[in-house]
Amino acid sequence: MKRIALALSFLLWSAAALAGQDDAWLMLEKASQAAHALSYKGIFVYQTGASSKSVQVTHMNYGQGEYSRMVVLDGSPREALSQGNDMVIFNPRNEKVVIEKKRGQSMFPALLPDNMELIKTVYQAQLGGEERVGGRDGYVVNLSPKDQYRYGYKLWTDKEYGLLLKSMMIGDKNVALDQIAFSQILLMDGQSMDWFRPTLDKTKAYVMEKDAPSKLDASEIDWDVTKLPNGYRKVDQVKRMVANKQTPVTQLIFSDGLSSVSVFIEDIPKGVRPKVGHTMMGATHFYAIVNDAHQVIAVGEVPEVTVTYFANAVSFKNKSK
Amino acid sequence: MKEQISALMDDDLPLENAEHVFKSIKSGGESAASWSTYHLIGDAMRGNRTLSHDFTSKVMQEISKQPTVLAPKVSKLNVKRPAVWSVAASVAAFMVVGFMTLQHQAQNTVMAPVEMAKNTPDEYLLAHQSMSPINTAYLIETASLDQGRE
Repeated sequence: MKRIALALSFLLWSAAALAGQDDAWLMLEKASQAAHALSYKGIFVYQTGASSKSVQVTHMNYGQGEYSRMVVLDGSPREALSQGNDMVIFNPRNEKVVIEKKRGQSMFPALLPDNMELIKTVYQAQLGGEERVGGRDGYVVNLSPKDQYRYGYKLWTDKEYGLLLKSMMIGDKNVALDQIAFSQILLMDGQSMDWFRPTLDKTKAYVMEKDAPSKLDASEIDWDVTKLPNGYRKVDQVKRMVANKQTPVTQLIFSDGLSSVSVFIEDIPKGVRPKVGHTMMGATHFYAIVNDAHQVIAVGEVPEVTVTYFANAVSFKNKSK
Repeated sequence: MKEQISALMDDDLPLENAEHVFKSIKSGGESAASWSTYHLIGDAMRGNRTLSHDFTSKVMQEISKQPTVLAPKVSKLNVKRPAVWSVAASVAAFMVVGFMTLQHQAQNTVMAPVEMAKNTPDEYLLAHQSMSPINTAYLIETASLDQGRE
């Protein structure tokens, strides 16, 4: 009888634990939807290493679509305006403001993927109590990686609206690597679009970005990337210019739904010493190798083993280069 | 014979057992060529190309004197040894590295790589964040990296 009671209590306990996981995933799903569906205005602070910057965000959704504007409040007054999947970044550089067009990228608080199934295979979600952030009551959800190829996240979601209030990337030994958090957030009423325009600086020339990344032709692809770490998929591949280089490089972008890694592939010009080895800046790891007379560099906000894995996963088809 | 010349330069072959090696080098042919080539490679690796001709002939001169050194007069040997053999040993140390590097370069004409950590790769961080599916960091953090760029 005692044994049955024990077994029963264990079953109940594990059911509760599973329900806890389900609840945690449900909250993340709600946070993902809320970031797109709600209309809100607030200020969030992004912290990494010793640097900390505030950003004002205005987001509106009124049936016809999603609009948002983000303005960096500290340092260079960069701003981003987005409509649906399209984003334009106004980037002051010296006497000019460079306009960059982006597509399919997102920003805080829309950090979570629409489809949670993508990240369920590689992260585990667990409820972690309640905490107040930016004047709002929130639930804590801990997302822990199931393997060593990505970092964990601690996420705070609004109790009432479901919106993501704060996100912290957690490295080895539970160290916070970076953090984004609302210091103030309000839901917006009304449908006025007065706010949806950039602040123009009449003293500066507005120019489109030169040498924007472009699609690769099939004929330009002489590499192959096989055997990725679990959960990572290739989300884009482009040909682009990189600062201080005369010729374009190939950039491949991989993502597991939260973490992302870029792999750069380029020829090594005569007289240029290729890079090798590992280095890091803040939460970003870099790993460079020379493979078949090509320079391969992997970069990402992921552990060292992951960038090493990606750089080594590139192979070249045409040996006759 | 090449291995023995190398061993001699490395100080692995005792001087008193090396008489046949000296004879072989002195007789010219392949052994003399190896001796000369090893020294040239060592010189090239150290960048003192201008020295190499003189240096080699100097070493060859020393070798031609060697039979007297190998004679029973031990005191004379001790005087000569440091000058010639410390050079030979250091050349030998460069030789192995030099050969490998030269062969590697010949294959794919790639220059010797440099450690990435010596020069922080800002340009790749910027490029990565600008294309990252979540690009909050690009808007905010890399603004400082981006200053002064065209």
